[in-house]
Order: sequence, then structure tokens, then C-alpha cells
Amino acid sequence: MSTIFTLATIAAALRLSIPVALAAMGAVVSERSGVLNLGVEGMMLSGAFAAYSAAEATGSPWIGLLAGTGVGALTGALLVLFVVVGRSNQIVTGIAFTLLASYLTTYLFQRNYSIGQVPPRLNRIGLVGLVVMTVVLVVVVYYLLQRTTFGLALGAVGESPEAADALGYDVVRIRSIATVIGGSFAGLGGAALVCGPLGLFIENVTGGRGWVALALVVFSGWKTFPVVAGAFLFGLSDAVQLRLQGTQSALPYEFFLALPYLLTLLALVLRARASRTPAALGVAFVRGAH
Amino acid sequence: MLGSNGAGKSTLMKVLVGLEKPDEGTVHLLGAPIDRFEPGLVRARGIAMVQQHFTLVPTLTAGENLILARPTNRRLPDRASSRARLDALVERYGLEVRNDVPAGELSVGEQQRLELLRALDANAQVLLLDEPTAVLTDAEAARLLFVCRSLADEGRAVAFITHRLAEVFDGCDRVSVLREGRGVIVDQPVADHNRADLASAMIGAATTGTFSKRSAREHHLGPSRLSMTTVSSATLRAIDLDVRGGEIVGIAGVDGNGQGDLEALLSGRQTPTGGTVHIDGQVMAVAEPRARLGFGVAYVPSDRYRWGLVRPMELADNLELGRVPLRRQRRRDRHTGARQALIDWNVRSAGPGAKASSLSGGNAQKLVLARELGGDPGVVLACYPTRGLDPDAADVVAQRLVERAVAGAAVLWIGAELDELFAVSDRLFVMSDGKLIGPFVAPFDRLAIGLAMAGDTTDLVVDLTHEPSIERAARP
Amino acid sequence: MTSLDASPMTLDDDPLEESAPNGRPRNRHQRGQRAVTVSPSVIVPVASLVCALLVGAIVIVVDGANPFEVYRSVAAGVFIDNRGLSDTATAATPLILIALGYALAYRARVFTIGAEGQYLLGAIVSVGVVTADGVRDLPGPVLIALGVMAGALAGAAWGGITGVLWTRFGASIVISSLMLVYVAQALLQWSIRVPIRDPESFVPASRQLGNAQLGELPFLGTHLGFVVAVACGPVLAWLFARHRVGYRISVLGHNPSALDANEVASRRVVMMVVLAAGGLAGLAGFFEMSGVNGRLGSSASLGLGFTGIIVALLGRLHPIGVVAAGLAIAGLDIGFEVSARSHDLPSSLVGVIQALVVVFVVAGDALAARFIGEGE
Repeated sequence: MSTIFTLATIAAALRLSIPVALAAMGAVVSERSGVLNLGVEGMMLSGAFAAYSAAEATGSPWIGLLAGTGVGALTGALLVLFVVVGRSNQIVTGIAFTLLASYLTTYLFQRNYSIGQVPPRLNRIGLVGLVVMTVVLVVVVYYLLQRTTFGLALGAVGESPEAADALGYDVVRIRSIATVIGGSFAGLGGAALVCGPLGLFIENVTGGRGWVALALVVFSGWKTFPVVAGAFLFGLSDAVQLRLQGTQSALPYEFFLALPYLLTLLALVLRARASRTPAALGVAFVRGAH
Repeated sequence: MLGSNGAGKSTLMKVLVGLEKPDEGTVHLLGAPIDRFEPGLVRARGIAMVQQHFTLVPTLTAGENLILARPTNRRLPDRASSRARLDALVERYGLEVRNDVPAGELSVGEQQRLELLRALDANAQVLLLDEPTAVLTDAEAARLLFVCRSLADEGRAVAFITHRLAEVFDGCDRVSVLREGRGVIVDQPVADHNRADLASAMIGAATTGTFSKRSAREHHLGPSRLSMTTVSSATLRAIDLDVRGGEIVGIAGVDGNGQGDLEALLSGRQTPTGGTVHIDGQVMAVAEPRARLGFGVAYVPSDRYRWGLVRPMELADNLELGRVPLRRQRRRDRHTGARQALIDWNVRSAGPGAKASSLSGGNAQKLVLARELGGDPGVVLACYPTRGLDPDAADVVAQRLVERAVAGAAVLWIGAELDELFAVSDRLFVMSDGKLIGPFVAPFDRLAIGLAMAGDTTDLVVDLTHEPSIERAARP
Repeated sequence: MTSLDASPMTLDDDPLEESAPNGRPRNRHQRGQRAVTVSPSVIVPVASLVCALLVGAIVIVVDGANPFEVYRSVAAGVFIDNRGLSDTATAATPLILIALGYALAYRARVFTIGAEGQYLLGAIVSVGVVTADGVRDLPGPVLIALGVMAGALAGAAWGGITGVLWTRFGASIVISSLMLVYVAQALLQWSIRVPIRDPESFVPASRQLGNAQLGELPFLGTHLGFVVAVACGPVLAWLFARHRVGYRISVLGHNPSALDANEVASRRVVMMVVLAAGGLAGLAGFFEMSGVNGRLGSSASLGLGFTGIIVALLGRLHPIGVVAAGLAIAGLDIGFEVSARSHDLPSSLVGVIQALVVVFVVAGDALAARFIGEGE
């Protein structure tokens, strides 16, 4: 075991957990306001692709991060149009978003880098840069949600939109802002995956991390620090999994492939009942409907 | 302001705070008319309501709820100053509220005091309290009245909605009575009225229904069919009740005194914490919805759209709810059967293929009756069966239920409209605080019943000799 | 169809339509409007398909090709090419089966997205059974019957896990079903490397299915699975129209409280639905192995479980609509396969168009609800 939990593994765990942590934080923000975003996986993918293209074109992975965030915000705005304004079914819409993003990024990628051609690797952002950025953002999100009036109103809108409405808050506006923030973080998460640990884009590069992020939100009970801790556990199991693939072990290496997802499932199962879901999660707001 | 359930008190209050728009008329606040009915704008002008369903955010603490209602800064204040803000209010108005627990975990009384504090914090000059005492203990209610009195003495206007007469005399200067959306007594000094005259204004004079009166009915009381022995739950306190074949027993009372649990228990959705329910001498199975049919229990739910109907589905499908066979008939044949049922029960619709959501309230209820009463049930549990219906539809529904009783069923009718209960009931109980007061029998004493509903039993002398003596003997 | 009395029942009945909270009607005038307009349940999918193709045309122009040419050769690939129609039928088989499962679940408002995992489990277990020592030499029909049962049971079990996690622990089926896709993919890699590996094979893969392989049926030019998949359409339509199970699924989707109060505990119906949907996906897994792939290899996970969502939504969750949508989506796949190559377009273009279809369906539904709900 001593060979597994080396410093290198911890570093890899951090690298792998940061994209999930960012996306999950975004999901915390939007879900706290009552908008269930099942498009996180798709938004991460869109952000990842945008980041790769921008970073490759400019040579700067930081610009990649910016591009990923921007595209994430755009997808968030699109989701607002569908579920907050149009009041479409939040579950089906999120799934449709993810499907579209998955095919669209694959298409654009194939179009730009035809088969056989090796897509260039990016200059990667060092671990320190990513960690600093993530820590700053965690603090910012925590501050926003816990220490500002806006955060208070955001939570109120997800918990009891009727009450917030009666107090004069604009439910649709607050939910829209939260959803766009959520989209930006998902995009940034995808971008961080590409510009950070991987340095390249491949089809469906996020590999379900968006869905893992959603599970972690439940696990964390919609809280900022626990969700980041959960993301680190996911990253750790991912890193261990990668290390163990090369070693001899009593367990087949495929078990370790599945391990991060099994742990996520376990986390979901353990906490699903205990976590208090925002009462108005997934429910469109119409004044006077109650 | 006094009025029984559905008199329009809450609607009026919602208009005043901008949650609903009036169809016509104007509202003046501190001398100026309100032109836009938007909750935020109305609040800003100094009017605040404590609603029956609290508008606190249950996950936030008392202090946070105050901040949400009136933020002082983009940043949240620290714990100490948030506590200080609450403490100052608590101190000033003598309304005790804990600060360290989420509002959802506060007692009902605390939540209400917090709502009130929140309104006072915004320096509201007009306070509307919608049935504030309905959920309070007597001591809490007295304390609240006292606080309201002192707020009024400070120069605020306090509108206090209640259905407890005593509170009007204890704490109010002037009184209005609403009935069926109209002001029966408008803005008169309390001193000009006495309890009896306010109670009768609230309940109204007897109206003449067209449906068959209890007196006009032939009585063939059979054996006990529905029997409850010391049935208890979170809100019910050891209820004993027998309903015999051919009998209609009415349950009157203000909403929220235990009727909800009684319905849930008898419809098989909930298990009692104590006691047993017998149907025709057999212990009723719970939590097995289809068994209800086997026991011959018809259930007319209080919320027909939640428990009784599936709105987006066809009428013919709704008629099969709870009794759908393994292999269903062809749609055409189902429709043939359903069409007949719709005619028999006079459900006005676009046909058996129409969606239940297309029906008016009365026709939706008739659809429920067509299904539930169609199979010749032995016991009928009718919960607010005429709620929300126009008088004609209500008459028809009542008539159908009376017919079942004549045919030998035991009917338990939980209702709100006294006239209606008087017209149909053989015996009547008032449900108050999880207990049954009564029985009352015809000729019904409106005043005594009105007072019992208002929680005022000082003058109540129930003549127990009216109670049919067979009742006790019939209990298994 | 008329004899089964299925299609008129639900074409107008949109299980995904958001009813206003508290069960109030969105608008009282909704019915009157519906009576005079053509049902949006037919317009929306057709319009979505058209819109997606239009957007696709723009993409093609941007890519420097002529959209008319491309679409013409897509159509030719399906309708004129020798094997176009039978290839479409073959490609549609797993999509139809998977999408029927989704239709079943989504009608009950049980949102699962994990058919890919159930499909893989069906493939792994059925291949494992029919290639096992002592079994693989049995006669073909016996093996196929075994494979069908094993595939369906394995898929159902994999789907059943999500049901248990939901009813026992309250874990979201959307998320758990997807997590199980990744677990199934790992299971696939392991199974063809260790327990069911063909010892002769250089790369990890199962044995050839041998006697269990499905031959091409005369006239149809496709395998038995297609017949089963298409037959499942009317069977499910019958179930929805004429059986208690279908009735309960509808009630669960529209008003679970009414189901609990009058029929049966809703969690039991949820369980049944995830088992059935999983079983259909598992069946698809077996048919794809025995009718197309011939053996289980490492690239068995092609995302059919996700395309199936598109098919189910495009087919309006109606079994017959799903069969039609499955053929349409598979037709796009087959047609584009040739067309994209000859016009030097990325092969994934068809996926974009397919996904656009579902986005337009979702948007169209919201618009239709708004338009019909608010237009007087």
C-alpha cells in the first residue's frame, strides 16, 4: 500500500478532483436555487472543448480556462431559457443538453482533427495554479452562499419560492443567475480537466464526471466544503485506480476502473435520505400555483 | 374579522398585500390608493400580513429570516449583530423566539411570533393576522391578543381574523363578519354586539336546500357497520364512533382539528397509533388500497384532485381507479360502460374520452361518486363532498349520498357547511382539538354548535338522552 | 392497429407534460383549443426532425458541402442502396428495444438513463451463457432461447438495482443508472479478458457465438431480433391500452398519490418498470451480439443506450411511435454512414442531428404548452 499513497498519488488525486469539484460547486449553486441541472456533464464537455480549442489557438491554457467558463455560462443561459423561462421538464431537458453536447463536441473535434492526425497537446497549467484557483473559487462560492444577502435569497428561492416571492424577491431572476453561475463552473470544470491534468481533448473526455458531480451534490447535502471534500475522494479513487492499473493486484484492474463510480454510488446511497433536498428543487415557479 | 371556512377572509387579505388582484374596487392605504398589486411594492408601503401558512423559509434561522425580509447590507451581518437585531425585537414586543434553530424546527407559536416580529421589524403600520390563534394554545393566544392590543395602542392598525368569538370580545375594538364573500356586519363597534348575534351572522340563517331532508327520510337503522374504538393518531384523541346502516353521521368543525387524520385512517392511507376500526365487524386492513373495495368502503376524498382523480387521464380511466381489472376491455367497450355511468350520474362532459381535467368541480365530484358509490358500498366516507361546488351541484352530491344511506349504507360525512350537515345528518358531532363533541341531534341547536366550533363550550349542555341507546350495545 | 385499439389512446396523452403544481389546470381553455388544432404530439416530433435537418444543412454548408447533395445521398443510402433498408432494420433493432424500455419508464415518470449498462449486462451474461463449456454445442434454437432469457434477466437485474436504490434509499435513478453504466463497462472489459475470454483470440474477446448466431431471415434481410423488437411495439401498446399494468404505469406517471390511495403502493410499480426497461435493454444486448457482432468484444459499448433516449422522446413514448422513431433514427445512421464518407464529413455529424432532434422536441413541448396554454 505504501507505493499507492505517495505524494505523486496525492498530487494526481488533486488534479483529477479539481474538475469535479468545480462542476459540483456550480451544481450546488444552481440546485440551491431550485434548478436541477442534469446538463452538467454536457456543460463540462462544452467547456472542455472550448478550452482546448482556445488554448490550442492561443497557446495559453489560462485563456482556455476563460473560454471554457464563457461557453459554460452560455450553456447555462440556454438552460435558463428552457427550464426557468420556458418551464420545460428539467430532467428531460438536462439529459437532452448532455446528449447534444456530447455529439456536438465529438463532431467539432472530428472536424478539426481528422482521424489519424494526432491532436496537439496543450501547455498544461501546473498543479499549484489549479489548486490556488480552486481554493479561491471555493472560498468565493462559500462566501457568496453563506455570507451574502444574495446567497440567503438564493437559498430561499430554492427552498420556498412562494415565501421569497411574497417578500418581493424576483424568483425567475435569481434562479437565472444561479443557473448561469452553475453553467460557468461546469464549463470551467471541463476546461480545468483539459488544461490541467490531461492537456488534450478526446471524445467524451469528461467520462461521466458531470454525473459524478451531481451525485456528490446529494452526498454533500448541498454544501460547499463537503462537496469539495467529496470531489477529492473521487479524485483519490481515480488516481489510485490509475496507479493500480499498472501493478499486480489480487483484484482485476477493471475493478479499479469502476471504483470511482462505485464509490460515488455508495456515497449517493448513504446520504440520499439524510441530505435535505432543497424543497423546490426541479419545480418551476408560478405565482399563485399553491 | 369573523367568518367561517370559505367566507372569503383569506382572499380579502391576500388582495390587501398584493398577492392577488381584485376584479374591481380600490384599496386605500394610509390615505393613498394602491395602484399596483405587487407583494414587494405593497410591503414597502407599510402593510404586512401574517398568513395562515407561514412564509418563513424553514431552513433559515429566525435571524436569517429577518435579514431576508429586510436586508441591511449586501453582506450578511455577523452572528452577534444578527442576534442583537432579533433580541432587540423580542425585548421590545415581548414575543419570545429562539434564534439558533431553523425556522422549520420552531414550534408553531414561535413561527407565528417570528412572522409578527418580521412585520414589526419592517415597521409595518398595518398588520393583518390571518387566523393567528387557530394554531396556538390558549395561553399563547391570550398573549398574542395582549401584544396586538399594545401594538394598536402604539397607533398601528391591526386586523385580526378569527373564528373564535371570545377573542373578538377580549381584544378587538371593531368587528366585521364575512359570509360567502359578503360583509354581513361591516366595521361596527364590538360593544354593539353580543356572542349570539355574531355567531348567527357568521353561520347564517338556515337556507332551504332542495335535497331530501333528514326528516323526510325513512329511517331503517341497521346494525353498526363502521365502528371506531379509541382510535388515536398524532391529532386524534381516542375517538369512539359507531355509524349504523342507514344512518348519516355528520362531523362539523373548523378545519385542522383532526379531520385530516380521520380521513387518512378510514381511507386506509394511515395506520392509527391506537385503537381499531371495524367494518361490518371485521378489522379493517390498512395500507392495502385495493382492499378498501373488498370491505365495501366508498371514499369521497377531501382533495379529489390529489387522492381521487387522475386529471390528465380519460373519464373512463378514472372510473376504473382502484378497481381496474387485469385485462381491460377495449377502449370502445370501456367507453360504452363509462358513457352509461356518466349519464346515470349526470356528469356533464365531452364524453368518456374527455380528460378529467376538463371537468368542472361539480362534475369532477360526480365522477368520483359515480365510481365510489356505483358498487353498492356498505360504508361511505365522504370528506367535504360539496367543497368548492355551486349550490346545484352540491345539492346533487348530497342527494346521492343520502340515497346510499336510504339503501342501507353507513355514511360518515365530514363537512364544513352547517346548513348542509343539519339537512343530511341523523347525528352530528363537532370535531374540536382531536375530540368529538356531541352527538347533537335534530332539531340542531345552531348556537350551541357554533359555539362548540369556536372552541367555546361554556354554555354547551349536550342532552345525552338524545343519544340512541342501541349504539353502545351494537359495538362489538 | 385498430383491433388493438392502441394508437388513439395515448397519442394525445403526453406523459411528460408538466402539469401545474397542485394539480390545477394550466388553463381551462386547453381542451377547447386541442379539439380544433392538430395534436402537438404528431406535429412536434415531425417539426423537430425537420428543424434538426435544417440546422444540419447549415452545418453541412459551413463544412463546405452541398446539403442537398448530402441529404440526397443519405436518402439514397437508405432507400435505393441494395442493403439500405435491411441495414436500417438491423440498426433499428437495439434502438427500438431500448427505447421501448425508456418509453415504459418515462410514462411512469421514472427517469432512467442507464440502458447502456443494462444492454451491456445483457450482452455479457447471455454471451457468457451461450458460449459456456457444454452449452455452446447445444442446438441453435435452444441456445437462442437461453440467450434471450439470460440477456433479459441480466438487463432486468441491472435495472432492478437502480429501483432498489431508489425505493430503499431514495437514491436518484437518473444518477445511479448512469453510474452503473460505467460499472458495466468495466465489467465488460474484465469479462472478455478473464471469465468468458476466447482462449484462441489474440485480443480480449469472447468466443464466437456459433450455434447461437442469428441468421438472416428470408425477404427481410435482417435477423430475428428485428421481428421481436417490432412485435414488442404492439405488445406494449396493448399493455398500455388493455392491461392493468399499463394503467398503473399511467397513473403513476400522472398522479402517484392517487395510485397509492386507490391501487397499489407506487414503489412496487416503480420496481416493475425498471425491471422491464432493463429486461428490454438486456434483450437488445443479446440480439446485437447474436445477430450482428457474433462475439463480445471490447468495443461493444457504442452509446446505443443514449441514442435510445432520443428515439423514445421522438416517438412520444408511444410504442408504435417508438418503432417508427427507431427506424427513422437508424435510417439517418445508415444513410449518413455512406454519405458522410463520400462528402468528407465527420461521421459524428449524424449524432449532432439526432441530438438536435431531441432538443427541438423538448423545446417544442414547452412552446406547445405555452402556446396552447396561454393563447386564447
